[in-house]
Amino acid sequence: MTRRAEAATIVAASGLAAFGVVLVNLAREGGVDAQVGLTFLVFVIAFGGVHLAARAWAPNATSLLLPPVVALTAIGFLEVYRLDSGRAGLQRWWLLIGASLAAVTLALLSTHTTSILRRYRNLTLLISVVLLLLPNLPSDWAVPLEGLELNGSRLWVVFDLGFTEMRFQPAELAKLGLVIFVASYLADHQRALREAHRRVGPIRVPEPRQLIPLLIAWGASVLILIWQRDLGASLLLFAGFVLLLYAATGATGYLVAGWFLGVFAGVASFLAFDHVQRRVVAWLAPFEHYQDEGFQIAQGIFALGTGSLSGAGPGLGRPDLIPNAATDFVFAAVGEELGFAGTVAVIALYALVVAVGLGVAFRSRDTFRKLLAAGLTLVFAVQVLLIIGGILRLVPLTGITLPFMSYGGSALVGNMILLALLMRISHEEAV
Amino acid sequence: MPDVILALLRIIFLGLVYLFVWQVARAIGSHVGISVRRKRREGTKVLFVRSETQQGVEIEVSSATVLGRSEEADLVLEDPYASDFHMRLVAQDSGLMLHDLGSTNGTYVNGRRVTAPTQLRRGDSIQVGKTVMEVR
Repeated sequence: MTRRAEAATIVAASGLAAFGVVLVNLAREGGVDAQVGLTFLVFVIAFGGVHLAARAWAPNATSLLLPPVVALTAIGFLEVYRLDSGRAGLQRWWLLIGASLAAVTLALLSTHTTSILRRYRNLTLLISVVLLLLPNLPSDWAVPLEGLELNGSRLWVVFDLGFTEMRFQPAELAKLGLVIFVASYLADHQRALREAHRRVGPIRVPEPRQLIPLLIAWGASVLILIWQRDLGASLLLFAGFVLLLYAATGATGYLVAGWFLGVFAGVASFLAFDHVQRRVVAWLAPFEHYQDEGFQIAQGIFALGTGSLSGAGPGLGRPDLIPNAATDFVFAAVGEELGFAGTVAVIALYALVVAVGLGVAFRSRDTFRKLLAAGLTLVFAVQVLLIIGGILRLVPLTGITLPFMSYGGSALVGNMILLALLMRISHEEAV
Repeated sequence: MPDVILALLRIIFLGLVYLFVWQVARAIGSHVGISVRRKRREGTKVLFVRSETQQGVEIEVSSATVLGRSEEADLVLEDPYASDFHMRLVAQDSGLMLHDLGSTNGTYVNGRRVTAPTQLRRGDSIQVGKTVMEVR
């Protein structure tokens, strides 16, 4: 696909977003309003901006990443708009902010190249850890930067500006920083980690000392689970790390070890924490606990069932009955209003994004860039799997966002930067 | 707004989404190395521009084709100066390759006799005896 074709698909997908808003307007009998034009304009400006930034600062970047991402954002926006038009207005602002930051990322990396990320990996790690710990700030102290606990998880930071307050989830950015750190670390230690001298029975295992980073990552994700009660981020971090370790070494032993560590931590946390127990109960028996824990998942299942093959139509279903439909359960909202057909299209688009991301990784010659592209893509994929799987009751529900689709500023900003990083890597490798 | 129209619009919306997915998937498929539709090998056309009996005949070379005077050649050259199995044209991704099969009177590409396999470009002329062909 050429840059010109990419621009055309951006306009087409922006048109889809506007068409979705038209459908919601028609369903409400309110007549088509200015939201349609505004939505179209914001989509074209935001993604067109990223496109122009790529033209200027990463001209050889793959043109295949933006199109599926715009379509996902459009479908997600349609449901967010349908559920809460006030939030949709905010989401448009976040889209513009995210696109600007993606452009800034492309511009900064065009002078410094991605090797700067490799060089300053310890600084990146430090910033990420600080970001992760920010929500643990006290909620009531003099400094205008405070932690906030919502829905039983301590994920939020409130930045009090006096006249208004800004809320964000620093974990969304910390996620990127951690992937950068791990990719850089593994690129430097790839060979040592790959060698497996010792044998235990039929399995070759690496030196125990080489397992230390794995154990540190495991420990870190367990700590997050305990401190912030954020099951999603903790799982995401750990799964992403194990997969990246496997990608770097090709040693299945890491997958096996990671699996056992994960299961062990899962069982232990199930026994130790009641919020994990609630999640598991809601996963295994949502209808038996319809009144309390299982309510959200049960409503999600109802929504998917009501949607049937082609859905009730945008604005014609009742996805508003699902708690947190615009954030955690946007996939179920799509299932209700666009049906099975809509959800399959969404999954296909995610698969395409992941295919392009892994394609970039496969084509990379430089180890760091290869691992960075693979890591960013894998974390993205695991996130999609965890939340969609949670809604479909394949895995316990974790309160993480569906990338590009859920309502949520920090997530959108983080994912736009992820997109910019992948584009930059593909530019540097396309020589 | 009547329900029928809304239902129709919904289907149109989904159709457009799928059209989009299909277009993007095709582009990405070729990037990742899977062709969504089996690639039809574009045959290169060869036109007889000068021949006593075959002038104006156009053949499409989509695989290996042997040209010669023999009845058993893939394409019979009706030229007394042609050998029984005179040359082979092979369609490749880069275009046509010409292999002279040790012909007695030789094969000339753009007026120059060739013995080694030769890459042909559009507009090249191939001469065998008195027959002249042009790569289209």
